[in-house]
Parts: sequence; C-alpha cells; structure tokens
Amino acid sequence: MAAAPIADYDGRRAATKKFMSDIVDISGVDFAYAGQLVLKQIDLRIEQGSTVGIIGPNGGGKTTLVRLVLGLIQPTRGTIRIQGMMPRQAVRRGDVIGYLPQNPRVPDDFPLNVRQVVRLGLVGKTGMLRPHAQADLDFAERMMDRVGIIELADQPVGELSGGQLQRVLIARALAAKPKLLLLDEPTTGIDRSGQQRFIEFLTNLKQELGLTLVMVSHDLRAVTAMSDRIACLNVKLHYHDVPQHLPADLIYQMFSCDLQAMGIGQAAANKGFHCNC
Amino acid sequence: MQLLTDPGLRLALVAVVAMGLACALLSVFVVLRRWAFIGEGISHGGLGGAGTAWLVALLIPQWDQQWLVMTAVVLFCLLMAVGIGYFTRDGILNSDTVIGIFLVASVAWGFLAQGMYRAVLHREPVGFDTLVFGQMRPVSAAFTLAAVVACAGVIVSMWLFGKEIIAYSFDPLMAQVSGVRAGLMHYLMILLLTVMVLVGIRMLGSILVMAMLVLPGATALALSRRLGRVLLISTAVGLIGVIGGLGAHAWRRYLPVGPCIALALFAQFLIAYGVRRCLRATSINSQ
Repeated sequence: MAAAPIADYDGRRAATKKFMSDIVDISGVDFAYAGQLVLKQIDLRIEQGSTVGIIGPNGGGKTTLVRLVLGLIQPTRGTIRIQGMMPRQAVRRGDVIGYLPQNPRVPDDFPLNVRQVVRLGLVGKTGMLRPHAQADLDFAERMMDRVGIIELADQPVGELSGGQLQRVLIARALAAKPKLLLLDEPTTGIDRSGQQRFIEFLTNLKQELGLTLVMVSHDLRAVTAMSDRIACLNVKLHYHDVPQHLPADLIYQMFSCDLQAMGIGQAAANKGFHCNC
Repeated sequence: MQLLTDPGLRLALVAVVAMGLACALLSVFVVLRRWAFIGEGISHGGLGGAGTAWLVALLIPQWDQQWLVMTAVVLFCLLMAVGIGYFTRDGILNSDTVIGIFLVASVAWGFLAQGMYRAVLHREPVGFDTLVFGQMRPVSAAFTLAAVVACAGVIVSMWLFGKEIIAYSFDPLMAQVSGVRAGLMHYLMILLLTVMVLVGIRMLGSILVMAMLVLPGATALALSRRLGRVLLISTAVGLIGVIGGLGAHAWRRYLPVGPCIALALFAQFLIAYGVRRCLRATSINSQ
C-alpha cells in the first residue's frame, strides 16, 4: 500500500491558511457497524469551490461516508462539520447540501409532474408553514431550463426515462442553491460518450453556480476526468491529493485497472500493471 | 330524503361526510406510501384494547362501561401506532412482520377476552358489535361533534404540512436530505391515520375501517396522475361512498352502514379500474 501523503497535504494547506474556506471538515472519524469498523480515522477537508472525487472499491465505505456527511448516521468517533455546522443542522437549513442519489428511482404511479418534483428541493429551505418564495420558484425554473427539462415540466415524473429522471433530480438538488453538491455514483448506467457529456455538463454547472462538487464513485475514469482532488477510500483514507499524483500501485491494488488508458499513473504501466476491469 | 329528515340519520350524515372528506384526502397518501397494512394493524389494535377493558370489567363490575372500552381502544390504537411508527421508521425489524405479529396477537387477545366475558356474564361484552362491525344505531350529537373536530384537525394538518407530507411520501430519504423533518412527518402521518381509524371504527368497525382509508385514494390513482385531480377525485369518491352507504342504510334499516359504505367504495374502485383498462387498451390500439 502506498504511503499516505495526507499529512503533507494538510501541512501545505495550513501554511497557506486556507482552512477558513473549507466547506467540509471531517476530522478523526470512525464508523462501526455491528462491531466492525467500516471507516477508520478519516481526515478529509474539502475546499469551497473545488471538485473532489471520492473513489474506492465496493464495500470501501464510500456510501457510509456520504450518509455521514448527510447526517443520516452519526460517526462512532470524530467530528464532521459542513460550513461549520453539524451535518444534520446543515441539511435542515435546506440550502447547504444538494444530493443526487445513486440509481435514482421514483414510484411510477406517483401523481407529481416534473416541476412539482423539482420544487420538492425547496421544501427544507422554505421551512414549515410557509409558502415558497417567488425568487426560489424562479430559480427552480431556471435550473429546469439549465438542465434541459423545461419542456417536460408538466409531464408526470413516472413517465420519464432514466436519463431524464437524473436531470430532474439534479435540478431538484440545485433548486435551493446549495453550496455543496454531493453526487453518489452519478455515472452508473451511462455509456462512455454519455459520461463525457455528463462530466462537461457538471463542470459548466459548477462554474456557473460556484458549487463545490463531491463525487463518490468506483468509476475511476469519470472521477479523474473532472476532479481537482481525489480521495481514495478503502476503510481508511489512503490518499488525498491531485489526480496526477495518484500512486499507481495504490490504484492497481484497489481496482486492478488499466491506468494508462485513463491517462494517469504512467508509472503503473511501466511496472507492468494491466487492465482487469 | 330520510337522511335529511331523520334527526339521528342527519347527525350520522354530518359525521360520515366529515369522515369521507378527511379519509379521502389521507387515503391518497396511505396508498402512495403503501401504508394500508399499517392502518390494518392500528385498527386491529383496538380489539386488543377492548379485550383488556372487558377483562378489567370482569374484575371490577362497576367499570363495565362504554367509556372504559373506548378509552382502552384509543390507548391501544395509539400504542400500536407508536410501535408501528417506530419499527417502520428505523427499520429495526421488517415492518410487515411486526404488524402481522401484533395484529394477530391483538385480535386473539380481544376474542379470548370476549369468550371469557360471555362465559361469565352470558352476554356480549359492551361495545363488541360496534368495535368489530361498526355502529348500526344513529350516532349521538357528542360523537358527531368529536368526529367533525377530529376530521377538521386532520384536514387542516394536511393543508398546513402539505408540501412536507408530499415530499415525505414521494421519497422519505430525499425529503430528509432536502431539509424536511422526515421523522416528524412520519409520526404526523401515523397520528393522522390513527385519528381517522379511531373515528372510523365507530361507523365501520375495525375490520372495515380501512376501506375508507384505501379505496378512495386507490380509485383516484387509477384515474389520474395529477395530484390536484387525484385529491379531487378521491374526495368525490369518498363522499359518494359514505353518502351512498348511509343512504342504503336509511332505505333499508337492516342493511349495516359499514359494509354498505365499504361496498359503495369498492364498486367505484371497480368502475375506475375498468375505465383505466379501457383507456389503456384504446391508447395502445391507437399507437
């Protein structure tokens, strides 16, 4: 296993005094399920405006980390802060985190149209016993236009294709103008050319809205194509730095992938690692 | 016409119309959340409560009163609702299994107590027929008022928390990560369901009460995919069902109210389902 350069990375960042701009601060987090450690001693800081890809093999704890950041579960040890708040507080504000779930599905028979589903993303931000603000409704409409579903606005959500539904849920996740967009395996089920378009689309969206993107995936190719930094997770955080410095042997051990084809880890190819996925 | 001229039936009409409105609106979300079995669990919890009251009445004969039975029914239904709410929210155990277990235990306890009561006092326990089959006699003004207030409370709650209820019903997890207090909405919906079950038991009995809380929503969802229309159709179906059922009872007094209402609702569901099938077949043929 490669030596973890996390300490060096954090040291560099401390020197440049950028901690104040961290939107996510995960510090010393353990999470145990049924007595077994699923995550161990996770330290991860995510800068505002950056794109971070969290990669790792299946069962490496990626989804658990997402659930921790969303406040759905509590860490066994350590702390998580989102914009200085506990995850639950941040989520309850409604305008801090946008979330795109893995394999989004909706009940076919649910009597909501696309516009109504997108507006569900505003419910937390608006709060109980209040109607949505007109400015928020206008922004939700803008997001529908931006993701290319405005023509489908009145269509029942149960009649959409998988791709259309994903765009609806992205618009829903962005409707409340969140600072952080969390994407859980967003490229699953999308072919290569579709992935490329999706990555370009997300990159443009991020620039337009000044978002911080966190993309959790086991799809190394998609993550490395768009991330400023990569966090490599397999129970422990093994690496957190720019994709170009990703230790090839670490990736090989985790994924057994063709690194050369992805344009990273030339050293791995030289060492004779080959594709297995 | 008897519905409007007979004072007892007039009160019953007011009570069932209030119930029809509240149950019809709530039923849309009961169906969308697939909560029919939860409702069954809560309604059958009442029988366990009544059974306990009947056994207490055997020990303390002065307490062999309707109020004790009703209090025990309310307490047990609430207890059942809290238990079901807890298990369905936290996923500690499979909710269907838990409901199935408590439902049969509650019914068994109720019938055991009924058998003991009948063996000792040689008559049916207080409130047994009402609880199981619903009330055939005209309702009192006090009950009508309580039913109207409870139904109004349910309707107002659904109006006030409408967007949260819709978000929670659509996808509880996504609602929670969008900032909705999903736990609060879960228990609120369970509470609303329990209130309507308790009001409905008086008219339809614990066996048939879920007809009011499933059939209007299921009928409306067979006919439309637009929420506004679904709520309107469900309300219309609910009102036609309760007024039709009560009307049948007014026409021939030997016809029990509960089964008449349940069958009126079921007939509408069958018609809606048939219409849907025809429309689908027509649209496939036209393609």
